[in-house]
Amino acid sequence: MLVLPLAIVWLAAVPLALLDGRRRWVGWLAVAALGAGFLAMLRLAVAVFARGPVELVAGGWPAEVGITLRADALGVTFAVLSIGVLLAALAYETLGGVHERALPALVLFLATGLTGLFLTGDAFNFYVFFEIAMTSSFVLAGYGRRTRELRAALIFTVVNLLGSTLFLSGIAALYHVTGTLDMRGIATWAGVADQNSVLLIATIIFVAFGIKVGLFPFHFWLPPVYRDTWPAVAAILSGALANIGSYGLIRFGADLLPRELRFAAPALLILGAASVLYGALQAVAVRTASEALAYSAISNAGYILIALGIGGPAGYAAAILFAVVNSLNKTVLFLAAGLRGWLVSAAFAIGAFSVAGVPPSAGFFGKAALFRGGIAPDDPALSVALVALLFVGGALAFVYMFQIYQRDFWEREGAGQTSGIGSRILVLGLAGLVVAFGVWPEPLLAVSQQAAGVLNGGRP
Amino acid sequence: MTVLTRVIARLLLPSTLITAIAVLVKGYGDVGDGFSAAVIAAFGVLLQYVAFGHRAAARALPLRAMPAVSFAGLLLALLVTFGPVLRGQAPLAHSPAPGADVIYLGTLELHTALVFDLGVFLLVFGFAVGAIDLIAGATDRERGQGPL
Repeated sequence: MLVLPLAIVWLAAVPLALLDGRRRWVGWLAVAALGAGFLAMLRLAVAVFARGPVELVAGGWPAEVGITLRADALGVTFAVLSIGVLLAALAYETLGGVHERALPALVLFLATGLTGLFLTGDAFNFYVFFEIAMTSSFVLAGYGRRTRELRAALIFTVVNLLGSTLFLSGIAALYHVTGTLDMRGIATWAGVADQNSVLLIATIIFVAFGIKVGLFPFHFWLPPVYRDTWPAVAAILSGALANIGSYGLIRFGADLLPRELRFAAPALLILGAASVLYGALQAVAVRTASEALAYSAISNAGYILIALGIGGPAGYAAAILFAVVNSLNKTVLFLAAGLRGWLVSAAFAIGAFSVAGVPPSAGFFGKAALFRGGIAPDDPALSVALVALLFVGGALAFVYMFQIYQRDFWEREGAGQTSGIGSRILVLGLAGLVVAFGVWPEPLLAVSQQAAGVLNGGRP
Repeated sequence: MTVLTRVIARLLLPSTLITAIAVLVKGYGDVGDGFSAAVIAAFGVLLQYVAFGHRAAARALPLRAMPAVSFAGLLLALLVTFGPVLRGQAPLAHSPAPGADVIYLGTLELHTALVFDLGVFLLVFGFAVGAIDLIAGATDRERGQGPL
């Protein structure tokens, strides 16, 4: 059951790579394959949440010898989310008409990489699947093939290759210090290893994932890339691929290196706050919708970091919840920003409300979880600072989201061609999901709490 | 390039390929695997590009088949990976199982791990030759000779 989602998307990607993806039936074939993978992943997720983690050692070797595949609550949450986002983006692009033959296969290869890295229990295997995902996304970023897309793809590739190299060095160093690549082994041995070297390694890995997710000092690549890529690709990059960064921060920080994470908590809070404010202020200042959304992504990455800095079961649950909600918001917004027509503006407004954290949208519970985690009874000054930051960040988000809404959906009402009804209904359906999670948040809250419960640093 | 370079490049091609095959099949008892075998084989091809130039080398190679070779290799490796799952075993489980007797062909040991490495070999070789041709062709185009 654990290998089924991986096998479906991987095996489907290979023959699809040889077919012409611009044909409609090839696109739908890819959507069907990815949909099957998504269903298999949902089945796995249900089993994991009901009966606990599923584990399997490749090659039938004994544990500690072979490479472990492990699906726990945290991994399957991110996997279901990311594959769902990819499915929506691929269906969106197929409805609108695919421009390049390789797109469906690339999305499936990306799905392979993401499925693999969320379901692995081995740090090096994580890196391998991470590279499969990154390589496909490098090509995806150039989708559209005009100068602006290719320029965006070049920036994206160069910066992220740097991030990958850093991450690989971090993994190698972890292996050197702990003598194992198995994540559980690393968690055990890193706790007793020399604190200074582990702290250095943790910093390297933090920078690598910080680059992926676009945190404040490492964000410089993100706005031009999100601005210039195709809408569906931007949705994939911010809704699915950025999950690698948030998952990586949570997994490597809170699960494998919790001692270092606690030690670095003040730095994380400061960087997170800087990210929130910087992103939000820039988003207010820029003129185009996709650029504002890119800065909004930087701002929202800051919230995840703050939640990690708060730490403890409540903080980690908030980080997971916020990452999930944020990825849904960004998918809705980037997809809606590429369309025109009356259903779309409703979808965009819902996404905008959710980013600002207004009920009844899922974003409200993301912010609420942060509030709950941020009120530290033993440190009133910190609580006040965090609550003030959340208010300011939320208010700025409200301003920049409705600036975009006003410019792109009110002023240009009726201007431009209305997009196909299929893609508009798809985007509205996604927005409906955001509202549904806002009206009935219990499942999402339970999922995030259970996912935080598997972390070594997240046990109460 | 002198005649000497060309003759040596031509002579080195078969021996490079044989070294690659040796590295491929010896992988499990000795140093080597499909990846390094493919890199060695691609190196032999690269030597032909250096000695004979892009046009002559590209004409002698079945370049159009290279993407298909790559994807066939990937598919082969994936089938070996996920095939055992259908029989209820872990992915990448090989037969004969570790410790069991293998079939010998001379000194060559036959098992499914070899098929997996063959897949990796085809994948990497197809990709490397395609990339070599692309880069060699790019310098040609820069000099204004145009594509083939």
